[in-house]
Amino acid sequence: MNTVVHTAHNVTARALGWLHANRDLGAFDDDATADLNDPDGVYKPLCELALASSLVLREGVAGTAELRAARELLEFSWRQLRRGDLLYERQLRHVLLTDPLETYAHHARGGLRHEALEQLLAQDSATDSMTEVVPNRRLAVANAHRVVGLPRDDDPQDMLRQTWLGRTPQPWALDWYTAYHMTHAVFHVTDWGALPGELPPDVAEYLRNWLPAWFEVWAEAGQWDLIGELLIVGACLPEPWCEPARWELFAGLQHADGLVPRDTEPVDDEPLRRFHDHQHTAVVAAIAGTLTTSRLLGGST
Amino acid sequence: MDASTCARGAADLAGRVLGALRDGSAADLADFLDSCVDATAGLAAVRLVGADVFLPHLVLDRPLGTRDADVVVASFEILPSVTAPATAEQRVMAWHDWSTARLLAGLTGAVPVATPEDPAAVLGPVEQWARWSVAVAQLSSSAHPGATGPVVDAVAAQPLALCRGVVRSVLRRDFATASRLTRWICLLHATGVGLPLDPVLLLAHVESRAGAEPRRLLDLAAARHLVRST
Repeated sequence: MNTVVHTAHNVTARALGWLHANRDLGAFDDDATADLNDPDGVYKPLCELALASSLVLREGVAGTAELRAARELLEFSWRQLRRGDLLYERQLRHVLLTDPLETYAHHARGGLRHEALEQLLAQDSATDSMTEVVPNRRLAVANAHRVVGLPRDDDPQDMLRQTWLGRTPQPWALDWYTAYHMTHAVFHVTDWGALPGELPPDVAEYLRNWLPAWFEVWAEAGQWDLIGELLIVGACLPEPWCEPARWELFAGLQHADGLVPRDTEPVDDEPLRRFHDHQHTAVVAAIAGTLTTSRLLGGST
Repeated sequence: MDASTCARGAADLAGRVLGALRDGSAADLADFLDSCVDATAGLAAVRLVGADVFLPHLVLDRPLGTRDADVVVASFEILPSVTAPATAEQRVMAWHDWSTARLLAGLTGAVPVATPEDPAAVLGPVEQWARWSVAVAQLSSSAHPGATGPVVDAVAAQPLALCRGVVRSVLRRDFATASRLTRWICLLHATGVGLPLDPVLLLAHVESRAGAEPRRLLDLAAARHLVRST
């Protein structure tokens, strides 16, 4: 297991270093407004950057330089969001959207709070102001409420049973798109590995049985982003699944500068394109390495 | 006699066996051999289809005629089995032949044949379940009703590896391998081995997508019979 800890730790350090070195490429061009024209362009990647950074800080298993980088990245995304004002304005304007809550949760996890936004979120929660979403997304919202500390009568176990994963379908009844739904159901019900016991025993056993098969299939297809997410799922199980050979494969994909390619397509040399194409996979790698290191060192037991 | 001629002959013979299973008739190996332009290629086809030539006798409990038994015996005389397999392919063929010869002995009352080496040598380490399951698939003719022996025991001891292998093959849309592994899974199901997936749903899924290749259909026909027998 020490080998995996070493490998996972290095993957995180390098992925985080790459995200830190390129963070300005993920900044808004100008003052963003609550009416984001292209929420997936900068806003969503910032949310993902905050997620990875907050988990590195929460777990506290990275080195001093990486913890500093994570803190700086979280503060970077917070500044980009005008210290929460953008989220506040967006929630104010678009009452039923859940992304301000979900983005805020990552910053709140890292201790960055916005009082007016929290009051607004509490009002919206009390009135159940949220758009209708697919079951794994509903779990994401429930987890965001849990992280921010807004009391609700959500039942994550019941919500999990509404997802694809919760029904433990026959294991071949899966495609690439649904595999991402499955990984996210695990992320949210366990709050990214903090609560592995939230996975019911039958679901945990199901995942232990089939993660190796799914990993093999999508590794052969060169879907590196997805296999990174499968490694995160492995780290969220009550008994973590983190086989050395899988980690060696994943670590072997990482470029010298820390970039992790999302798939087998050639990596573009143009810096902005390079960052936007592979930013998500670097986030995935940083989280996978962090949670794996933490679980193997005894976290969330 | 080239490889494609043998494969074509094996497909023809598998089609005959399949028809016999469906109609409740005999595969009539002697008639098949008579229909072959090249008798040696015909005997090679018999060896390729292997133990599956006996499926009508195992499934329908039909007696094996002397002429048909003689065809299988002749195939071993003309194309002797490898006695000291050195390559992975030869190891697969050694067990494939053993299964054929053992069933022949059982159906004719002849002297049982010697068992090849440790099945671990042909299957490889189960930790490498993807590779292991491909070797298991190559030995699908050993997964017949009532099957016993070292390979059957080795596979039955590893249901999770087998099931991971079939899930991988289905998701890769490799329905040739999936058909063969499904047959093994149905054998384990028929013998009461607990499985982490539903073999009947698996069989239905693979049957709907397997195509029309006779040897593939023969694997699935054997699987269907195994499921029915439970």
